[in-house]
Amino acid sequence: MAAVAAKYPAFQELSAEVLAVSVDSIATHREWQEKELSRMIPGGVRFPMLSDPGGVIGKRYGVYDGNAKTDQRGRFIVDPNGMVQSMEITCDALGRNITEVLRQLRALRHKRETGDLMPCGWEPGRPTLPVEDEASRISGEVWKTWKPRNAF
Amino acid sequence: MVVFVGKEAPDFKAEAYHQGSIRNIKLKDYRGRWVVIIFYPADFTCV
Repeated sequence: MAAVAAKYPAFQELSAEVLAVSVDSIATHREWQEKELSRMIPGGVRFPMLSDPGGVIGKRYGVYDGNAKTDQRGRFIVDPNGMVQSMEITCDALGRNITEVLRQLRALRHKRETGDLMPCGWEPGRPTLPVEDEASRISGEVWKTWKPRNAF
Repeated sequence: MVVFVGKEAPDFKAEAYHQGSIRNIKLKDYRGRWVVIIFYPADFTCV
């Protein structure tokens, strides 16, 4: 969570809000913020930390682990219309890549603004796949314009 | 209920700790903005 907090300004620049959710109580969120997070990041976590007792929200999103009684590490990007555009769930031992979450957010915003398709590994400044090229893509012509090196 | 990409995100209401105070949060209140929902197993963990 500290890593997300460190990059919160980048989320704000993309006019995205972050909502953190765990089964912990408000009191525990407060304690974590005051005792640890605020010492790791200036200002600590500056976005809402939701309390999800019993995993009610987690169950709706398919991330509640009934044995551990916790919400798994799930991440969902929701667009301005309330539609899920991207999701990821990892096991408890695997942390996420916040840079990748920001990349996806930038790509999804670009897609929403332009209608273009966002190819593998797209970053701002790299070529997209205009929708009008759909016919050429299907007919096996995409190799002429898009190279695998564009993905890295 | 199963979440699908391309479908509406399930709505929820919850109490939240936010910069020293307690707020009631509804996902629907964020229509018009991008939202990143981040679930995590527990406070005081750092993976």
